[in-house]
Amino acid sequence: MTLSNILTLPLRMIWHALFWTFDRATWQYDLMVVAILAFVWLTPPTWLNDPTASGPGLIGIISDFFSK
Amino acid sequence: MTFTGTVGTVCMFPLRAIIAMCVALRIHPNILTLTGVVINAWAGWSLAFGKFWIAGFIMLLANIFDFIDGKVADELNLSSKFGGFWDSVMDRFSDLFLLIGLIYLYASLDRPDYVLITALTLMFSIMTSYTRARAESIISQCKVGFMERPERIVLFMIGAFTNRMAGVLWVILVLSVLTVLDRIYFTWRELHSDEPGLST
Repeated sequence: MTLSNILTLPLRMIWHALFWTFDRATWQYDLMVVAILAFVWLTPPTWLNDPTASGPGLIGIISDFFSK
Repeated sequence: MTFTGTVGTVCMFPLRAIIAMCVALRIHPNILTLTGVVINAWAGWSLAFGKFWIAGFIMLLANIFDFIDGKVADELNLSSKFGGFWDSVMDRFSDLFLLIGLIYLYASLDRPDYVLITALTLMFSIMTSYTRARAESIISQCKVGFMERPERIVLFMIGAFTNRMAGVLWVILVLSVLTVLDRIYFTWRELHSDEPGLST
């Protein structure tokens, strides 16, 4: 892998995430699914002003624990 | 095998049995499609009154019908152009029922911010399908972008079962906007790929 390839890797990753051309059941798809589930389940509902959610979510529980 | 591939394979076991039963009973696939929409309307009604758990189960049931109709059509040799058209149109009604249910819920909770977010999600969910359908009338295929209907439906069910609908709406909205932009860009690129000076 050349230096220019390494330097442009983050940019290429961002481009491939934005301009999505991967099929389902590929490792790239799995990675996106993990990122989405992490956002949905870990983000404290108060950060999103969620009108219906109950409980602080995992990040909320952890931040509460360390703020004590 | 990937994680999502494994989940898909596991889910196919019970679905194969349901498909085989529908084939044995010779249920017309268009009836299955219509049944899915009616059940999705029921799910939308449950969402409208904040009954997320019940809505989750109803969506699960509705989407079994959504999933199997095409497979039953293939097995019964009843695949037709009208069947494809009917399926696409009914899918849009299903999306609308669910999102209108959420709009009603957030309006009744006096939350105009989430009424707006849900309305924008509705707009871009419909535009995701429209851009592909319109693009494929002028180019051979336009299958780019992450947020298609199966992803939306699974996310809705996750949001309903885990009571995290706001996060789900944000994800669907942002990724639907990107999907629409991807499809516009892809179509533009395909149509201009023959012109000199433009990269493909």
